[in-house]
Amino acid sequence: MFLKRIDLTTALRPSYLPDEVLLFVQDNVGLYEGKFKIPDYQNGQVYLTSHRICYVDNEDPRKNSTAIDLKDVDRYDFYAGFLKSSAKITLVPKPTKRSSIQTRGVSSLNGPSRSATTSPARVDSPFHLPSSEPAPKSTGTWICPICSFSNPVPSNFDPSTAPETIPLPPCLACGIKPTWKLVMKAAIANTINRPVQSTEGPVKSPIPVRARSDATRPQSDIWPDPQENSSRGGNSQASEGASFQCPRCTFANHPSLLSCEMCGAQLISQDIPVGLGNPNLRTESPGPVLNRLPAPGTENNESIKLSFRGGGEKIFYERLQGSMTQRKWLLQGAPPVPKPSRGPEPGSPSSRSSTPTGERVKTAGIAGLEQRRLEVRKNNELAIGNAFEDLETLMASAKEIVALAESFAASGGVNGESSAVANALGLVTTKDMLGGGSNSESLYISELSRNLAEFLTDDARGVLRKAGGIISLVDLWAMFNRARGGVELVSPLDFEKAARLWEKLKLPVRLRQFKSGVLVVQASDRTDEKTIRALLSWLSDLHVFPPDKDLAWDWQVFGRGVTAQDTAERFGWSLGVAEEELEMAEERGALCIEEGIEGRKFWENWIDEKHAPEASRLYNAI
Amino acid sequence: MVRKHADWWAAMDCLGASNKNPFAFPSSYSFPPFFTRQPNTSTHHAQLQKWSSLVQAYCRHHRLFKLSLTDSLDSDLFHNKKIGKRLGREDAREVVEFMRKEGRAEWVVDDKGKTRGAGEGGEFWVWWRNVEEWAGLIAEWVDETAQKNTVLTLYELTESEATLSQEFHGMDPELLQKALSVLVKRGKAQVFGQEDQQGVKFF
Repeated sequence: MFLKRIDLTTALRPSYLPDEVLLFVQDNVGLYEGKFKIPDYQNGQVYLTSHRICYVDNEDPRKNSTAIDLKDVDRYDFYAGFLKSSAKITLVPKPTKRSSIQTRGVSSLNGPSRSATTSPARVDSPFHLPSSEPAPKSTGTWICPICSFSNPVPSNFDPSTAPETIPLPPCLACGIKPTWKLVMKAAIANTINRPVQSTEGPVKSPIPVRARSDATRPQSDIWPDPQENSSRGGNSQASEGASFQCPRCTFANHPSLLSCEMCGAQLISQDIPVGLGNPNLRTESPGPVLNRLPAPGTENNESIKLSFRGGGEKIFYERLQGSMTQRKWLLQGAPPVPKPSRGPEPGSPSSRSSTPTGERVKTAGIAGLEQRRLEVRKNNELAIGNAFEDLETLMASAKEIVALAESFAASGGVNGESSAVANALGLVTTKDMLGGGSNSESLYISELSRNLAEFLTDDARGVLRKAGGIISLVDLWAMFNRARGGVELVSPLDFEKAARLWEKLKLPVRLRQFKSGVLVVQASDRTDEKTIRALLSWLSDLHVFPPDKDLAWDWQVFGRGVTAQDTAERFGWSLGVAEEELEMAEERGALCIEEGIEGRKFWENWIDEKHAPEASRLYNAI
Repeated sequence: MVRKHADWWAAMDCLGASNKNPFAFPSSYSFPPFFTRQPNTSTHHAQLQKWSSLVQAYCRHHRLFKLSLTDSLDSDLFHNKKIGKRLGREDAREVVEFMRKEGRAEWVVDDKGKTRGAGEGGEFWVWWRNVEEWAGLIAEWVDETAQKNTVLTLYELTESEATLSQEFHGMDPELLQKALSVLVKRGKAQVFGQEDQQGVKFF
């Protein structure tokens, strides 16, 4: 399960794990599995974080997004690209640790880069078992009526369920497609003849699965270490280092062979390849495409390649190297760095008194409080002292130091809100996370745009909600930069560009320009009509609630006029926004204006009959 | 005789209305935004229409034929003392202009053909009936009372007790002249005499 499904945020960026740090973003990246392109995963953005490599597709991000945990990566290779071939980074998965007697265990650890440099002799692309299907599968063989070559029945061919329309791979020798009936017969025959599966697989240690690509090795290739091979063949038991008997002709083959030397029968029992539908299929870049995508949960040990069609591979590789060395994922859930012993010091009051725990002494009153504080302070001193002794310990105890710094900040009476926001912001894309290249600027803007959308829609922070669902761009800019904590500030120009991208990226917020030119940000489902409806329903409430002072006019008929101030208070908008919204409603004819000594007030439009708020209903009520 | 009495009472009632029953303002008169020029075009149009009909109804009630802009700005036509709102001079002028385009008002033109209304405190006719309608009314009254081919002075026409019940009672002489000239053009009347002693003969 190398490729994992990921969750996306509202802004269509991967949602990060706790402690995960974004390191690099690159767009225009395609995914390969082995030598084959994975369809629908050919144009997307790749996010390198401290824990994962996430791919988010441009076309259908919700469906076609995936991630690779760095902890599953065994090796990674760099290929600089040649002529029309883009630069690529190959990620070789660690062999899955799975003990199953059906598994042909072959260690691929420390071997030469077989997976990455698969021989081109591969005739068929790997077929990946859907996760729902039972893993053990024995294959029958069908004899080609043309050339009488024995072909394996495709592993996905289940005689009980296979429809007649299922695509069948052609004969491996002559390339003629078999009839459905023929394969059906072979499959049924195989099911009947299948020997009872043995369950006594003497597997002592977890045996790694042989990498898929090994199937393509030339058959004469001798495995360097036959000792490592254990169980062999479809249903056979493990035979330690011995020759491997062909299930069909009983010829004793060398254990590293994949098909019988004598009759050519498959000696591999799983991951039987299915024919490639159209090997000549090409998308925008040359190279064959897989005809289907590995379903999540599929046992698949193919290496994954990232093809950097838009550049950026060098920086990606560098950062990947960095995060592979740091292995931040190990920190997660790891026990904290051992603390300096808090044991009783000689001479301290705690050492003298003997308590059952020996850890803390219960001292009552102010003296106790004082002592506790002293202890805490001492502890902090130690932690800080240790941390700054050398760089390595600082890195190791970074988490602790950050927590300490936060607690200092909180007790220091610093504005708690903004620092909380800063913490929550966490992952921001900064310019240095993007490589050079012609389109790094636009990538930066689009990432910033997504970043902003996340910032706005994050429920925990509720930036939009607090501002009544609408916030002026300038306020947002100030808030966003404050949340960034004073580093990597966003220029107003970039900010506006990013905001203008929302619509194009189909993010759930939109930028809106008022008649006066004021730019505001609001959720995209919020329309003028909704705003007007909210305003009018509020105004109609004013017909019912008696005013606090006597009014000269018939307030039950006309209600009351409201100022921008009132509106801002009522809806939680900023004053400027309230004014703009009211004017928008006025412009649409829903409201009318009264200029008076109390300032400008907005009323329900009783002047224009077209807009008069259900006059008849109100009159009837009176 | 009885009929005359009835007429008289009706006339008294009509006249007395201006004194006894105060003019019933429309509801929008007490709507504060009504006194502010609306920036929205369609709302503004509706506002002007309401003002136009208010001015006409007000003048009809009080038997006013001519208004002075300056004076009326302080009258309760344009000044709602109850809610402390008044229409601005420019806004009132806009109302008159609107009525003029509707054919319900006209700036008073002096002898030299100059518009007095263009200046400050301009006067304007309020055509709650326009000239043709006035002419028709007078002709109808003459017809009803069988006074064709008799000579009436203009003073008699507007001020005598006989016309008390008629809407043109107390009509502005200038307006009367305009109305009669319409009838003259139609060949239904002839005006003669000069200055203050003008008479009219209906055919």
